[in-house]
Amino acid sequence: MTSYRIPGKGRIDRSKPVRFAFNGDNYHGYQGDTLASALLANGVHLVGRSFKYHRPRGILSAGSEEPNALVGTSRGPGRFEPNTRATVLEVFDGLSTTSQNHWPSLKRDIGAINDALYMLFSAGFYYKTFMWPKSFWNKVYEPFIRGAAGLGKSPTEPDPDTYASRFAHCDVLVVGAGPAGLAAALEAGRIGARVILCDEQAEPGGSLLSETDAGIDGLSGWEWLNTAMAELATLPNATVLTRTTAIGYYHQNFIGLCQRLTDHLASPPQGAPRERMWKVRAKQVVLAQGSIEKPLVFDGNDRPGVMLAGAARSYLNRFGVKVGNRPAVVTSHDSAWLAAFDLAEAGVKVAAIVDIRPEVAGHLKQRAAALGIEVLAGWTVTGTSGRLRVASARVNPVSRGGVVGPARTIACDALLMSGGWTPSVHLFSHTKGKLDWNEDGQMFLPGDHAEASRCVGAGNGSFGLAAALAEGAAAGVGAAVDAGFKAKAGIYKVGNEVPLTGVSNRELPTDRNASRAKAFVDFQNDVTAKDIRLAVREGFKSIEHIKRYTTTGMATDQGKTSNINGLAIASDAVKRPAPAVGLTTFRPPYTPTTFGAFAGYNRGELFEVTRKTPIDGWAEENGAVYEPVSLWRRAWYFPQPGEDMHAAVARECKAVRETLGMFDASTLGKIEIVGPDAAEFLNRMYTNPWLKLGVGRCRYGVLLGEDGFIRDDGVIGRLTPDRFHVTTTTGGAARVLAMMEDYLQTEWPDLKVRLTSTTEQWAVIALQGPNARKLLEPLVEGIDLSEEAFPHMSVAEGRICGVPTRLFRMSFTGERGYEVNVPARYGRAVWEKLHGAGQQLGITPYGTETMHVLRAEKGYIIVGQDTDGTLTPDDAALGWAIGKAKPDFVGKRSLSRPDMLKEDRKQLVGLLTSDPDTVLEEGAQIVLDPNQTLPMKMVGHVTSSYWSPALGRSIALAVVEGGRAREGETVHIPMPGRTLAASITGTVFYDPDNKRLSA
Amino acid sequence: MMHEHHPLVGREIAIRKAMPLIVRVAADTARFSLRIDPAEIEKASKAFGLNLPAKIGETAISGEKRAICLGPDEWYLTAPLAEQEAVEQAFADLYATAVHSLVDIGHREVGIEIEGSDAVLALQSALAFDIEAMPVGSGCRTIFDKAQIVLLREAENRFRIEVWRSFADHVWGLLQAAGREIELDI
Repeated sequence: MTSYRIPGKGRIDRSKPVRFAFNGDNYHGYQGDTLASALLANGVHLVGRSFKYHRPRGILSAGSEEPNALVGTSRGPGRFEPNTRATVLEVFDGLSTTSQNHWPSLKRDIGAINDALYMLFSAGFYYKTFMWPKSFWNKVYEPFIRGAAGLGKSPTEPDPDTYASRFAHCDVLVVGAGPAGLAAALEAGRIGARVILCDEQAEPGGSLLSETDAGIDGLSGWEWLNTAMAELATLPNATVLTRTTAIGYYHQNFIGLCQRLTDHLASPPQGAPRERMWKVRAKQVVLAQGSIEKPLVFDGNDRPGVMLAGAARSYLNRFGVKVGNRPAVVTSHDSAWLAAFDLAEAGVKVAAIVDIRPEVAGHLKQRAAALGIEVLAGWTVTGTSGRLRVASARVNPVSRGGVVGPARTIACDALLMSGGWTPSVHLFSHTKGKLDWNEDGQMFLPGDHAEASRCVGAGNGSFGLAAALAEGAAAGVGAAVDAGFKAKAGIYKVGNEVPLTGVSNRELPTDRNASRAKAFVDFQNDVTAKDIRLAVREGFKSIEHIKRYTTTGMATDQGKTSNINGLAIASDAVKRPAPAVGLTTFRPPYTPTTFGAFAGYNRGELFEVTRKTPIDGWAEENGAVYEPVSLWRRAWYFPQPGEDMHAAVARECKAVRETLGMFDASTLGKIEIVGPDAAEFLNRMYTNPWLKLGVGRCRYGVLLGEDGFIRDDGVIGRLTPDRFHVTTTTGGAARVLAMMEDYLQTEWPDLKVRLTSTTEQWAVIALQGPNARKLLEPLVEGIDLSEEAFPHMSVAEGRICGVPTRLFRMSFTGERGYEVNVPARYGRAVWEKLHGAGQQLGITPYGTETMHVLRAEKGYIIVGQDTDGTLTPDDAALGWAIGKAKPDFVGKRSLSRPDMLKEDRKQLVGLLTSDPDTVLEEGAQIVLDPNQTLPMKMVGHVTSSYWSPALGRSIALAVVEGGRAREGETVHIPMPGRTLAASITGTVFYDPDNKRLSA
Repeated sequence: MMHEHHPLVGREIAIRKAMPLIVRVAADTARFSLRIDPAEIEKASKAFGLNLPAKIGETAISGEKRAICLGPDEWYLTAPLAEQEAVEQAFADLYATAVHSLVDIGHREVGIEIEGSDAVLALQSALAFDIEAMPVGSGCRTIFDKAQIVLLREAENRFRIEVWRSFADHVWGLLQAAGREIELDI
C-alpha cells in the first residue's frame, strides 16, 4: 500500500513503529499517531457508514469534534468500546479497531438502501412514516427501528477495568493548552498561584502543533512550546494534565476533568486504572478551548476524502501525513489557503483553491500563483463524485447577481473545506454564562460570566496568535490577582502572522435542484440543509424545536461542527436574525465520557460500604448465609450440611424455644444519652413515659414523626439517673440520631443532655431460650442474675468472661432472653467463649430469618416491614405504649386528628390461612369478597409471613382496614391462578400470656 | 483477658520505592467523646489534664493525651489505654460541678496512619476538601468517600484517620486503590 507519509514532517516518533488492525487488515503507524492519522497515512479514508442513510463516511476533522470517524475498539476480553473517535484514539501496538453501522461489510452495506430511500427519511420521519397501518407498529416498524437504531454495538461483557478519581483544588484552572492557555498558565504559575493546566490531546500545544510558520519571541512555535512546557515543569505549583478533557463546568467553579491514563498504552501496568475523574474546585478558571472549523454545506460534502482544511493541515504538520495526492480546496475563509500552501510546499499538487468570495486578499493570490495553484474566486461547489472516496468536485462560477454559471469538474482525491471557525463556548455555556451574537463574525461569543471565569483566545473570538497570547497572559495574571496574588502580565512578540478573515455561509449556491441535494449539516445524525428548511416549512420556528424535529445537533458530538451551520440555515428560512432564532444549549459532558470514569472507585467491593459486625468473621467461618440489611451484611441463617434454608431455620427456631440460641445483634443502633435532662428528653421524643423508669430498668419505646406515624422503636435502659442506653432499629440508627439532634438543637436547646452514637462501641450477643441464664451465670461477674434482682426488662453493668459488659434482660423471641453488650473488639472472643460454654446446653447460633420468625410468632413488629410510614401506634396494636398522661411528645398532636381516629384505618392483625401449609406471600393484597368484579377493592396487605415451627403451620401479619373489629372473619388473598382464604386473628400466635419470658 | 479482634489487624500498605506512602493500623488507644458547655472548658481541661483547644479544628497534645475540638461543645479525646479508668473517674468527679457527657468510644473507632511524601495525594482520592491547605496540627470531622471520619494532620506528611470500625474496610480499600496509582506513578 502506498504511504502518504511525508519524510521529515510531523511530530510522530518514527523510531517507534506500531502495528494495528482496522477491519481485520493490518497497518503500520507510529507512536504519536491517532487512528485517523495512521489510516490516512495508509491511504484509508473510508472508515464508517453514517447512522441513518448508511452513506460511506471518512474522516472530517482532526480533533474531538469528529462526527464521522467513529470506530469500535477492542483492547482484549471485555474491553470493547463502540463509538471511539478515530481522531482522538492514539494507536498502539496491537490495537484492534472496526468500523460501524454496516452489514455485511463496510464497502458493501445493505443498509445503504436507506440512502436511495432518502425521501422516506426526511425530517420527522419517525413521526410520519410509521403511522399506519397501526398493526404494523409492534411487529414490523418497532423491531426494525430498534435493530437499525443505536450507534455502534453496545459492549456485552462487564467492564474489567478499574477507574480512579481525585479531588483537587487550585487558584487557577486553565482549560486548553494552546497558545492562549499556555500563556495564562505560565503567567499565573510564575506568580506562584496553584495552577492546573489541562488539555484533551496527548500533547499540549493546541493550534501550535498544526502549523510550522508561527514565531513567538524569536523562536519557532514548536521551540516556544518546548520552552514553555520546560518552564511549567520547573514550577512546583503547576500541574499539567494531558489526555484530560474538561467535561463539565458546574456550580461554584467546580470542574470535572476526565483523564485517560492507559488507553494509549499497548500493555498497561497490571492494576492500573483506565481513567481518572478529577473533581477540581478552582478559585479562578481560564477557558482557552479554542475554536472548531465549520464545514461548508454543499451536495456531497460528506463523501470520504472531503474534510476540513484545518484538519488536513494538522495531519500534514503534526503527523506528517498528506491527505491526498491531488487535494482541492474549497473555502470562504483565508485559513484554508494556508493549508493549501503548506501542502504545496510539502510537494503535494494542489488541484485548485475554490473560494466562495469574489474578492480575496492579494498576498494570498500571489502566494498561490507562486506555488502554481489555480485559484477560482467567486465560485461555488455543487457536487462531488466517487463511490467510496471523492474523485472530483463539481464547481461553478457565481455571478455578482448570484447566478450560478456552468459547471466544471476538478479531479481531486481529497476536498478540503473551510467555512470559517466557531469559538468553543461549551464550558462557558455550562455555567449559564450569557452568549452575545457577533454579527461581523457570525458567531456567538462569551458575554457576561456567571462564574469566576475568563475566556481567552480563539474560544473568545480572538483568532490571531498575538491576540491569543496577549489575552491568555492577561487572563493568567488577572485570574491570579483575583485569587489573591500580585503581578502584571508579560508581553509576547509574534512573528510571521498575517490576519486571516472569512465570510460565513448557509448552504452554498447551486445550479441544481436544491431539494434533491444531499448537503449535510449534521454528519453524525445525517441531517441535511433541506431537512432544516422542511422543518421550518412545517411550522417549527424555534431552534430547540427544529433541533428535536430534525435531530440536528442531537448526536454524541452535540453538533460541534453543525450547530452554527444549522442555525444559519434556520435563521434564513425563518427570516429572522440568528440570535432571535437562538442557539441550542450545550450540556455536560463536553465529549462522550465512560460510565466507569463517573463511577470511579465505586465498583466491585468498593461500590458501596459493606458494614460487618465484630462477629461477622465467625459467622463466615461457620457457613453463614448473608442478607443485606441497610449497609450491613448480616448472618441470615446457618445451614448445616444437607440443610436448605427451611430446615436450617426450623432447627434454629426449635433450639431457641427448647433450650438456647445465640444471635449477633451488634447492628442494632445505639445512642448514649447523658445529662440531667436525659429522662425529660426521652419523655418528649418517645411516646412512652420515661421520667419514672428506675435505674437498672428497661422499657420498649416507640418513636413517631411529627405526623404521628411510627418511625422507629427499640429498648431503652437507664444506667444511672442521668445516663440512658438507647437502642434503635438497624436501619434507623443514623436517622434517629439525626432526628434527636435536630429536636435538641432547634426545639429544646435549653435541655442539658447530649447524644453520642455508640452503635459500634458495642458488640451485642443475644442469648435467647430457657437455658440462657444457666449459660450466663458462671461467666458473669458483678451482676446478680436471680429472677428477683434481674427480672425481665433489666439492665446492669458488670463483667463477662473478664471484660466489661452492659447486660440487658430482654427478649425479641418471647423466650427468656439476655443481650450481652461488650466493647466491640471483644465481641468475637466473647461470642466464641459463650458458644463453647453453651455446647452442653445445645446452644445454636441463629440468623436474622429465625429472629424474624420467632418475633412474628409473638406479634412483635419490625418497623419498616410491618409498618410503612402510615401506621400510628394504635394501628400497629401498640396503643399501650403511649403515655396517656404525658403533656406532649413528638407526634402527639397529630394522633388526635380525626383521620387518625377513624374506625376503618388499616390495623395490624394476624392471619391464619385456611390451609395451614400455605405460606402467604409478603406484600400480597387482601380483599373481603373474592367474587367482586375487577378491579377489586383492596383492604390491606400481608406484611410478614412465615412457616412457624412452634405452631406447626403458617402464620402471617397483615394490615387490614378496620382489621381488629374483623377478628374471626375470613378474608381473601387473590394470587395468580388461585385465591387463598385466611381468618383474621390477634397478632400474638405463641404464648399469649408471656409465661415463657421468665420460664 | 479475652483476645481483641481488629478489623484491619496485620494489614499494611507500603509503597517502598522512595517511601512515598505507608498506611498502617494505629495502635489502640482510649477514646472519649466529650460534650460540655464551652464555658466549662477550664474545668474539663483540668479533669483531662490537658488544655482543651477552644477553636473548632484545633488540636492539643500533652504527653500521650490528645484533644481535638470537633464542634462548639464537642471534643474528641484520646489517652493511653492505661489511663482509661482514671480519665473516666476524673470526669465522673467533675459531673457534680459541671454537667457534661463523657462517652467511651474506644472500641467504636479504628485508627489508620497515612504517612509519606504522597500521603496528601492518596487522601485526595476520596476527600473533597483542600487537604494541601489543612494546617499541620489540625483535625476535623469529614467524609472519606462514603465514610464519616475524623482526620488529623499530625505533620506535613503524616495524617491519621479515625473511622468507625465497620467503615474501616471501605476506607482501607480506597487507600489501597490510591496506593496502587502511587506505586505505578500513574
